[in-house]
Amino acid sequence: MSIIPLFVAIPLASAFLIPMFSKRIRVFSDIFANVTTFILCVMSLGVIGRNAVYTVGLWKPPVGIAMALDGWSVLLLVTVNSISFCATVFSIKYMEQYTSKLRYYSLFLLMVAGMNGVVLSGDLFNLYVFLEIASIASYALVGFGCQHDELEASFKYLVLGSVASTFILLGVAVGYSLTGTLNMADISARLPHDSSTFIFMASCFILGFGLKAALVPFHAWLPDAHPSAPAPISAMLSGVLIKAIGVYALIRLIFNIFGLTPVLSHILLFFGTASMVIGVFLAIGQWDMKRLFAYHSISQIGYVMLGFGLATPLGILGAIFHLMNHAVFKGLLFLTAGSVEYNIHTRQLEEMGGLRERMPVTGFTSLVASMSIAGIPPLNGFWSKLIIIIACVQSGHYIFGLWAAFVSLMTLASFLKVQKFAFFGELKEHNKGVREVPVGMCLSMMILALLCVGMGLLLVPSVRAQLLDPAVASLLRGTEYAAWILSKG
Amino acid sequence: MNNIALLTAFPFIIGTLLFLIPKRARGLIETVSGVTALVACLGSVRLFLVRPIESTFAYGISFVIDGLSGLALLGVTFFTLIIILYSIGFMRDHVYHRSFYVYVLWTLAASIGALAANHMIVLALFWGFLGLTLYLLIHIGGGSGAAAAAKKTFIIIGGSDAFLLFGMAIVWQAAGSWDLLGVKLPITSGLTFWAFIFFVLAAFAKAGAMPLHTWIPDCAASAPIAVTAYLPAALDKLLGIYLLARCCLDVFILNEAAHLVLLITGAVTIIAAVMMALMQHDMKKLLSYHAVSQVGYMVLGIGTGNPVGIAGGLFHMLNHAIYKCTLFLSAGSVEKKTGTTDLDHLGGLIQIIPATFVCALISSLSISGIPPFNGFVSKWMVYQGIVEMGQRGGRLWVLWLMAAMFGSALTLASFIKLLHAAYCARTTEYAEAPQREHCAMVLAMGVLAALCIVFGIFAKQLPLRFLINPILGGSDIYLGIWEPSQAGLYIGTGLLLGMFLYGALSLKKGFFRTDRTYIGGERLPESSFISGTDFYNTIKEIGVIQKIYRGAEKKYFDLYEQAKRTFSYMTELLRQMHTGVLPTYLSWVVFGLILLLWILGKNTW
Repeated sequence: MSIIPLFVAIPLASAFLIPMFSKRIRVFSDIFANVTTFILCVMSLGVIGRNAVYTVGLWKPPVGIAMALDGWSVLLLVTVNSISFCATVFSIKYMEQYTSKLRYYSLFLLMVAGMNGVVLSGDLFNLYVFLEIASIASYALVGFGCQHDELEASFKYLVLGSVASTFILLGVAVGYSLTGTLNMADISARLPHDSSTFIFMASCFILGFGLKAALVPFHAWLPDAHPSAPAPISAMLSGVLIKAIGVYALIRLIFNIFGLTPVLSHILLFFGTASMVIGVFLAIGQWDMKRLFAYHSISQIGYVMLGFGLATPLGILGAIFHLMNHAVFKGLLFLTAGSVEYNIHTRQLEEMGGLRERMPVTGFTSLVASMSIAGIPPLNGFWSKLIIIIACVQSGHYIFGLWAAFVSLMTLASFLKVQKFAFFGELKEHNKGVREVPVGMCLSMMILALLCVGMGLLLVPSVRAQLLDPAVASLLRGTEYAAWILSKG
Repeated sequence: MNNIALLTAFPFIIGTLLFLIPKRARGLIETVSGVTALVACLGSVRLFLVRPIESTFAYGISFVIDGLSGLALLGVTFFTLIIILYSIGFMRDHVYHRSFYVYVLWTLAASIGALAANHMIVLALFWGFLGLTLYLLIHIGGGSGAAAAAKKTFIIIGGSDAFLLFGMAIVWQAAGSWDLLGVKLPITSGLTFWAFIFFVLAAFAKAGAMPLHTWIPDCAASAPIAVTAYLPAALDKLLGIYLLARCCLDVFILNEAAHLVLLITGAVTIIAAVMMALMQHDMKKLLSYHAVSQVGYMVLGIGTGNPVGIAGGLFHMLNHAIYKCTLFLSAGSVEKKTGTTDLDHLGGLIQIIPATFVCALISSLSISGIPPFNGFVSKWMVYQGIVEMGQRGGRLWVLWLMAAMFGSALTLASFIKLLHAAYCARTTEYAEAPQREHCAMVLAMGVLAALCIVFGIFAKQLPLRFLINPILGGSDIYLGIWEPSQAGLYIGTGLLLGMFLYGALSLKKGFFRTDRTYIGGERLPESSFISGTDFYNTIKEIGVIQKIYRGAEKKYFDLYEQAKRTFSYMTELLRQMHTGVLPTYLSWVVFGLILLLWILGKNTW
């Protein structure tokens, strides 16, 4: 019995079981959801270093449906499931503010199931289906508060997200018409690279996944959607969703299915840099804390894309590592924003100030996350930005390297703004009675802060060989991926 | 066990462990920190004596203590000890008492690491962490002023660090190694020149040379004085100039353009900052502008590129740390006694805190380059370096020399103002009754003031021989015709003679006449006094200079403020595009699709 389908089956089953069993005993939903995400987290750590192909119903690919586990999917699995565990721990107390925790957990686990499915799927149409599961759950979660703003944001997200999904589906259809198959490996082997139909298909995919990943100019939905969601969901959306259904899928397609060419590499470089720069400029002017963070997601995804676009082993390593790091510190940042909102019911920076005195844990963890995203050593963000900058220089893309350094400065500036207005400075009169958030929320933030401090160790060569190197290797082998799946299946 | 690693890790671990001590046990926290700093100090002396040491870790990461890093290391540990000693008196009742000591020990650890690192990434690692500890230390000042200053400081320092990484990557690519020592990269291409510029900018941001100096006055205005005396005055100079020297001596082989960059920066920094200092009314801000101005001498010295100049620059770095630290600490004593550092409200402190006055006097004379104090010797060496450079041809050297000497005169002028306004001028009574000066604070200042004298008079025998000359190959550095000990002897004799005469003659009653201030026959009311803060208003009113001062007041020359304005304009532009209207966003998507099709269709696959 393979463990691979369980990554989808367990959250999917829990998503349906929670509302069935925990109507009577409310605390049951908390336990059930947390145990589920914990198991998933442990399982994802357990598959580190493994490569496997699972064929659904024992039908061999290309006829049957394949689920593939390689370095690149393992990395995403670890990221998705560990962040979702922290988010559920945080949710226990945080979601008390909302009604209907049951539906919340259901949607949450559906989203996790969708993301795990996307990451594991070896079949283009299945990838689309899982992507839609995750997306639709996220539309509902963005509007979960049912206030005016939240519903508006959710609607915008829904419209733009559907446009993306439509283009992806169109891409799948065109791909099917070109090759007569939906299995990713098989498509890769049969793709005619010079036809204009192929170019149209590639454009559809880049647009669709680029929109899910919030690359400029497809980013406009993100700064509305991410801040409107409840804090743990914001953490999931910015931390992992845009990566699992956006970056992961796009990079898998470009590297392993299409095969990276100089044109595609330049597209990644330019879109990445544009996102990086425009995102950070937009972020620094914000006064809504979560909105500021959301714009930084655009900017940081730009870094990731820049790293991938360099297409050197070092660039890919930097990109992959930055992707993991971003999940951790951006998740943490949204959780701290949630803690602040939980206490003083506002997201406006002007109304905060001096909160560090009243909320030491939130203040400390937020400082750690801010320094991390700004690339201050020895935190994790420093290492990945360093690798990306070195990789830019190494491959002769000096101008991109300079942009990366410049955006790092701007990121620092905008997070120092957050620290200055929210946590340092004078404590406002109406905030004098504020107290630290409950233990569960603190615990979740502390775990992520510890990860921010310690994740630099993943670069130590013997550790790197376990998680990061296999991911790089699985992308670098390019279209041989297809041969691997077909032979294993 | 690896000594260097141990010396780095030790203060960091102890610093972190301080969090376990209850906040109320203030004495215990102070003792533990003091002992840690003392041990680090002794350890660094030991490392200095057995240098050069190189120890290699796993993955080719090596630590090296040579003459240059050894000198800076001695300075760093020594000043940490002094500051902790001073803080026993100064920080005792502070809210963030424990955090202060934790951050100071972290700073110590990171500085040791940065100085000893031979691997560029390891240097960047410690270097970046230093920015964070400085940021946290400034926050100890409390309030929104400190928050703003800390933000500005960290943006300037942290931002320059990001570009430093880029510069390091270029050096790595060109040299094929991450080591700092033995690279000797000639600046031949535009790329290496930019790498050099990024190294230099990081050093300038830390040391506070123009144009990245603007954080120092803000920091001095709102951080606790112990912090200002520790970092911007002492440690950041040591570290910044260390990086500059390392980059000029070991990493790059400078060409004419690179020398010119350093010389121009040095000269402009000296003059511009001292002109700003002349007009300050706040003791802390006045001192902070001098902390900028003096960096100019160090940069100028290193920019000359000849041994005398470089030795002068490095010696000035050490001397500056000593006297500027003393000056800030004396300002701290003043603030502790009177609750203010505004020169308009001070005066007559010579009677209340005499020991502080003596220390302030010695260090003021020292910073102004009055023989036989240490500041004179190092400035003299910088002048010598410039003259020697001039002998190789070119005319610009006269400019650099003028800037250096004129800057020294202006420094003296502004310190006369400071000494007069704070210590001599009569003033209204202070709210609090005068108390005795805290002995730990006096001891800290006294040690530093004594060093000013010793390093001045015995410059050749002690600091130059043991600390500076070994960096540049060990031979004796030419000092011109100036013999510090001899001159010190004459000056000392003269002073003693004068004091003796004064003492002898004042025995005779009525020999020295005191009278009221003469102001054209008018009678000066008892309540008014001449504070001295307006001594140089005449300069301020000269046409062109007036315009420059007005511009400076509006922060036109502050790179940080200018960048902030430009960027917020761009942000506003982008924000106006994000209207929140769905059709607009959809049209962007369509635009993106067209762009993609165009790019993919145009290029061959």
